[in-house]
Amino acid sequence: MTHSPASVSEPACEGAGSVVRRQASFSLGLSRRFALFSLLFAAEFIPISSLVHKDRGAGTLLEIAVVFVPLLLAIAYVKSPQTFQQVSAELRLARLRWSLLGAHIAALLAFLGLSLAQAANNGLLSGLTGAVLWYTTGFLTLAFAGWAFVPPRAALRLVRHTRWAWLYALAVAVLAQRLIIYRTLWNGAVWNPAIDLSWKPATDLTFGMVNMLLRMLLSNVIANRATMMIGTPAFHVEITPWCAGFEGTALMLVFSTAWLAFFRREYRFPQALLLVPAGMAVMWVSNVIRITALILIGVAGAPKVAISGFHSQAGWIAFTCVALSFAVFSRQLTWFSAEPRTETQPQAATHNPTAAYLMPFVVLMAAGMVSTAASSGFEWLYPLRVIAAAITLWYFRSKYSELNWRFGWLSALAGLAVFGIWLGLDRFSGAHLDSPIGPGLASLGSSGRLTWLAFRIIGAIATVPIAEELAFRGFLIRRVISADFDSLNPRRFTYLSILVSSVAFGLLHGDRWIAGSVAGLIYAAVFLRRGRIGDAVFAHALTNALLAAWVLWSGRWYLW
Amino acid sequence: MKLAGVVLLFVGAATFASAFPAGAPEINAGSAGSALALLSGALLIIRARRKQ
Repeated sequence: MTHSPASVSEPACEGAGSVVRRQASFSLGLSRRFALFSLLFAAEFIPISSLVHKDRGAGTLLEIAVVFVPLLLAIAYVKSPQTFQQVSAELRLARLRWSLLGAHIAALLAFLGLSLAQAANNGLLSGLTGAVLWYTTGFLTLAFAGWAFVPPRAALRLVRHTRWAWLYALAVAVLAQRLIIYRTLWNGAVWNPAIDLSWKPATDLTFGMVNMLLRMLLSNVIANRATMMIGTPAFHVEITPWCAGFEGTALMLVFSTAWLAFFRREYRFPQALLLVPAGMAVMWVSNVIRITALILIGVAGAPKVAISGFHSQAGWIAFTCVALSFAVFSRQLTWFSAEPRTETQPQAATHNPTAAYLMPFVVLMAAGMVSTAASSGFEWLYPLRVIAAAITLWYFRSKYSELNWRFGWLSALAGLAVFGIWLGLDRFSGAHLDSPIGPGLASLGSSGRLTWLAFRIIGAIATVPIAEELAFRGFLIRRVISADFDSLNPRRFTYLSILVSSVAFGLLHGDRWIAGSVAGLIYAAVFLRRGRIGDAVFAHALTNALLAAWVLWSGRWYLW
Repeated sequence: MKLAGVVLLFVGAATFASAFPAGAPEINAGSAGSALALLSGALLIIRARRKQ
């Protein structure tokens, strides 16, 4: 199977031959516009989902819309793929409407303001007027964002061939919302095909496999299939459908399908399709091992670690391991791979500039997941993050000696500004004020407390800023522009690359994603001013140092 | 851009899987950011090594 280089990078619905593509660094076809809209929607929806779901039926409407819009577009594409190609080609020539994105942000802020006013119960949002205002701002938030990426005229052209298909899409969306989302999935009172035809037998399977593994390792296993309780008299858990393996398997289905679809030219079909159920099966078994390990940790005398730390982290750790193994090993198997293996590949693989920029951050994240999994609230194993990141940075030290680590007074100002913004926006973050750090430190001896605080501060002002700035400013800003990022000038950027790196940096900070995104923008500005990684690292380190001092002085551990 | 597509699609699916109100003990929504960052970073390294 061979393909021309031009077709390799083109999504299926783009690239109409009749329209000459403009040679611009910032051209967006239809699929990229949809992807950016989805990313923006996801980034904004995660932190405010509780506000949308609260009442007035907006959450239900949104859930229906989430099914309805993609389904209608899918029908439209099947009816007339040529129209999609044509519109996509035309949109490549059109600029993104930044003014509409500005209007979107204004509407979003208004929507958030009204929602928070309602949460504060100050009467501003009471009555019909308040409801109309709330719905209007919510609708405008979505409409402006949609309009910015896909103008209404183009959207109408896409769906005009569908005729009455919107009725079918609406019916399916409502049905899906009712069956899958609205119903409580473990509800014995209501017959639900999702439960009775698949969930219960599958949960039984997980229960049986965990039971079998436990009996190989323990002698006093108790297992009640009626209540789904399993463990020992000292520690036992209930296996509900939510932890029976469906979520991880579903994520693996999405990941493996997307992987094979995007890199389809590297695989041999149809046999590569077998990788999808194989990956899902491995994920299912890994969940069985996760539950077994959780019970063993509880039985071993650490029930809090089993429930608080391991329980919340092990699913992601398992999924990450299975997904990475899928990506690496699926191409190693010649029966699945479309490319013949050559002897020159191992030598060529020794040069990897991406690893030097990303590996410290990846190791930092992995160590964080492991240390959180081993904790029961208070992350006593935090030093692992510092040590693991420091070793990785040391390993790549020769590459870092090529970078410019000098910094100027502007980076100090930037660090100070981010510190102020961080504290100023904290009241809007919705972060929990109670932190396990205070009680955790109190439970340690004085030497243990000092050691933990020393590692926490070193992490905040050294390993974390260096690892994150290398990843988000040093790497991601240029990687969005080109896969060959290392050949670009460090000062090279596009507005999209800055936006992507800053929002990704913000999302990493969970509830504080707005403050994180603003911080990312500021660090990007000081980095790009002279192209010096040292400026961004110093600004970031200064922010974290000031934050550490503030936390130690005020005792507001939740800021860590 | 292909890898970005995989990540975007996956982020979207994970978002909707975790945003709905039901409890999710197997895949904890609170850890999604770190996990996706780890997965995305590792995939970028793997793909970059292969392309050299």
